[in-house]
Amino acid sequence: MPSMLTIPPRLPKAQNPDPGASKFCPGCGHGMILKTLASAIDELNLQDRAIYGCDIGCSLLSWNYMNIDTIQAHHGRTTPVIYGITRATPDAVGIAYMGDGGGLAIGAQHLVNAAVRNEKMLVVLVNNTNYGMTGGQMAPTTLPGQVTETTPYGRDVEVTGKPAKGAEMVSAVVDTEAAYVTRGTVNNLRQLKTMMKRGLQNIADGRGFSYVEALSVCPLNWRTNNVDTWDRLDEMEGFFKVGELVVPQGLEGVK
Amino acid sequence: MTKVQEKHQGFEIKGCGKGKATWRLYTQLCKGCGLCLIKCPINKKGKNCLHWSKEVGIYSTPAVEPDPALCIACGTCERLCPDSAIRIDRD
Repeated sequence: MPSMLTIPPRLPKAQNPDPGASKFCPGCGHGMILKTLASAIDELNLQDRAIYGCDIGCSLLSWNYMNIDTIQAHHGRTTPVIYGITRATPDAVGIAYMGDGGGLAIGAQHLVNAAVRNEKMLVVLVNNTNYGMTGGQMAPTTLPGQVTETTPYGRDVEVTGKPAKGAEMVSAVVDTEAAYVTRGTVNNLRQLKTMMKRGLQNIADGRGFSYVEALSVCPLNWRTNNVDTWDRLDEMEGFFKVGELVVPQGLEGVK
Repeated sequence: MTKVQEKHQGFEIKGCGKGKATWRLYTQLCKGCGLCLIKCPINKKGKNCLHWSKEVGIYSTPAVEPDPALCIACGTCERLCPDSAIRIDRD
């Protein structure tokens, strides 16, 4: 029989303890990434300055996850909403949280233009290679040969092209002296936390655009058990190279 | 506004990490995804440290529990858990 514990679960201060269990599916990577983001905000003591924006899709379910000011925008329009806020209140640390559908399909124009203009905001893009909320359809990042709802015989690169590489696309257009572009993975949450802290510090210093892509897992829509989920993530890491692509001067000390 | 002391459903396993740590799981948060079982460094060596429990989580799926004789209280499962259901404290 489960007994009662008087010690509460250990949550970051920037995470909202009131809703209890999150609304994500069992084993969803969003929980790991949001927890890492919240503890990175804690360690840099940015809770009062941070403004969190979530997109449509599974990332929308994080609307009450954070214990910081939150806004929920239209599909793919989290980036312009957040840079509007950071332009109006220059002291704010704007965080746009989106999935690969919101950031690389419908919101790609905003992402590219925000990166070109060096807007002072952090984009956290969660890449799970499909559209999770609607049942696992093909996304721009779906791996070649991956079976999804809309590619039942596997993604055909002859017809639909190769997967979109968000971090490489952003690093090609940013100002390399001010922007921070990286790709992390939920396989290595310690490294992902360092990346999040560097991204947050970059905008807290008022330097420029930060982009953190996080490779994530989606066990329900991949139809994988716990063993196959981690194997699929390893396969993704072979295609999307993990590591920092653009690091401005002055961020090397942040760990 | 005074806050009454909250109680949380769950269980604790004492004596992890050579008797120096307590491992706790909150059954109202554990969704039974099993991702921690694969990432446990002791399980990777072929031993059976973290395993399915007889207790159930929030969706009535099995929760997990460690073998206190094998657990080294490294904190991998706590850091990994997407729902913060695991908590390890060094005594």
